[in-house]
Amino acid sequence: MQNHKSEKISFKEEMEELRHQLFEARETIEAIRLGMIDAIVVESDTGNALYTLKSADLAYRVFIEQMTEGALTINNEGLILYCNSQFAEMVQFPLNNIIGSSLFDFISPEDLDVFRNILETSWTAPAKTELMLKAGNDKTPVQISLAALRLETTTALSVIVNNLSAQKKAQKELENANTQLGKINRDLEVSNRDLQQFASVASHDLQEPLRKIQVFSKLLLEKYNQDLTAEGKKYIGKIIESAGRMKSLVVDVLNYSKLSAREQEIKQVNIREVLGELLEDFELIIQEKKAEIRIADLPVLDANRGQIRQVLQNVISNALKFAKKGMPPVIDIHSRRLASKSFESPEKKDGPYCLISIRDEGIGFDKKYGKHIFELFERLHSKDAYEGTGIGLAITKKIVEKHNGLVAARSNPGQGAEFLLLLPLKQE
Amino acid sequence: MRKKILLAEDDPDDQELFFEFLSDRTDIDLLPPVENGEVLLERLRQASGNIDLPDAIILDQNMPKCNGLQTLQILKSSGYHAHIPVMIYSTYIDSSLVKLGLSSGAVLVMDKPSDTEGYHSLIDELLKVLD
Repeated sequence: MQNHKSEKISFKEEMEELRHQLFEARETIEAIRLGMIDAIVVESDTGNALYTLKSADLAYRVFIEQMTEGALTINNEGLILYCNSQFAEMVQFPLNNIIGSSLFDFISPEDLDVFRNILETSWTAPAKTELMLKAGNDKTPVQISLAALRLETTTALSVIVNNLSAQKKAQKELENANTQLGKINRDLEVSNRDLQQFASVASHDLQEPLRKIQVFSKLLLEKYNQDLTAEGKKYIGKIIESAGRMKSLVVDVLNYSKLSAREQEIKQVNIREVLGELLEDFELIIQEKKAEIRIADLPVLDANRGQIRQVLQNVISNALKFAKKGMPPVIDIHSRRLASKSFESPEKKDGPYCLISIRDEGIGFDKKYGKHIFELFERLHSKDAYEGTGIGLAITKKIVEKHNGLVAARSNPGQGAEFLLLLPLKQE
Repeated sequence: MRKKILLAEDDPDDQELFFEFLSDRTDIDLLPPVENGEVLLERLRQASGNIDLPDAIILDQNMPKCNGLQTLQILKSSGYHAHIPVMIYSTYIDSSLVKLGLSSGAVLVMDKPSDTEGYHSLIDELLKVLD
């Protein structure tokens, strides 16, 4: 009984000892794997034996453990002799259990044939292929590269496994985004074409009957002048006037719609010069209203000449139109260079932006309308008081924005208005 | 000498207006109008010698079958009638029509007039080019 007991204790002690040795051995193996050990001393009956690990290996072992790819060596049957922790992560399997098992166990069933083939060919020449690895209940897309290793005592295959998950995912996302973008582009093209066609057809076909209304009304007025009463003439006058208004609306809408469609020709434009031409066009009305126009420094900038001319024409004609009753209009036009694309930007000589100010001393408008006046068909005044289609400033805004610029209007009732055009000197 | 003017115009109203406003002018003869480019080309082919040929042609841009520009291009490449001055007129004129018209050989590209004065100045402009 006593004997039995002491036997039990010694077994227990022996087990404890073995456990300890096993722990040490595992530690050592882990340390070797991580490159922390270069040599091992092993006690034996004949004394201590020193086993050095070839020093060149150290760098490679560390390197292989650190690299982002999975790395393995397998024998000719696919048995895994070595594997780094990256591979273990890819297949979501404990590292210790991988070594000694077959690489076939980690290949997704549908790719087993592919793997078998490449395994065979890679003994003669390095080979690579894409396939799916099992990863828990999931699969991981990878590229594997195999090359034969001729070692001193044996031959093995080195296997590098590249995780393609992120790449595949990004590729898929890119494809989706591209498909989406393609669809949006096609839709946009169709709607652009429709819009252009609508504008062009509507304008041509709308103008034809309008012109007829004008022509025949005028003919009526001319040919039957004696037969018409004063009231009759007045009505015909109204018809002609309305048709004329409608015609300018149609032309303005057409011009507005063309702005979005057409590629524009950009050249260096001398604003002073354009303004000179415009003032010639306005000569009659300037004389009639005894308007005074003061022009200071103006830039030369990249622009579509015709469009910039239109912008200035719209703003100046407004300034002439909205003068105070009985007062000759005074319009002040000047510019300064800015550091950045903002109305708050500090002035900067040779800055990349130019702020053109067109200020009048006319009737002005409530500043709450400052933004609205650039919208299509926005009118602050009844058409009896001031003629216009309500498209001019919308065109102005669109042109300036097409030139990568900004527009703003500042005013207070009775205190004149200032229109600001902020334009880049250079167009990309 | 009175200049013979041939109008190609599909719209009967516009044909009528042309005569209404212009038939009392003494410096021009209005030949019977044709309703499109195709008929115009046929009319020119049938003309025997210079007696029946117009001194100037006015083409409406928007005509069925053969529009103003197309007719102009055929005329200018035909050889026989390339020397006859051609004007294009249209209800709506934009810069691209003007550019194309002039580069295709038109002497003038103008808006359709909407009153007596307009019609007369259109003819005045055309006669200036003929002299």
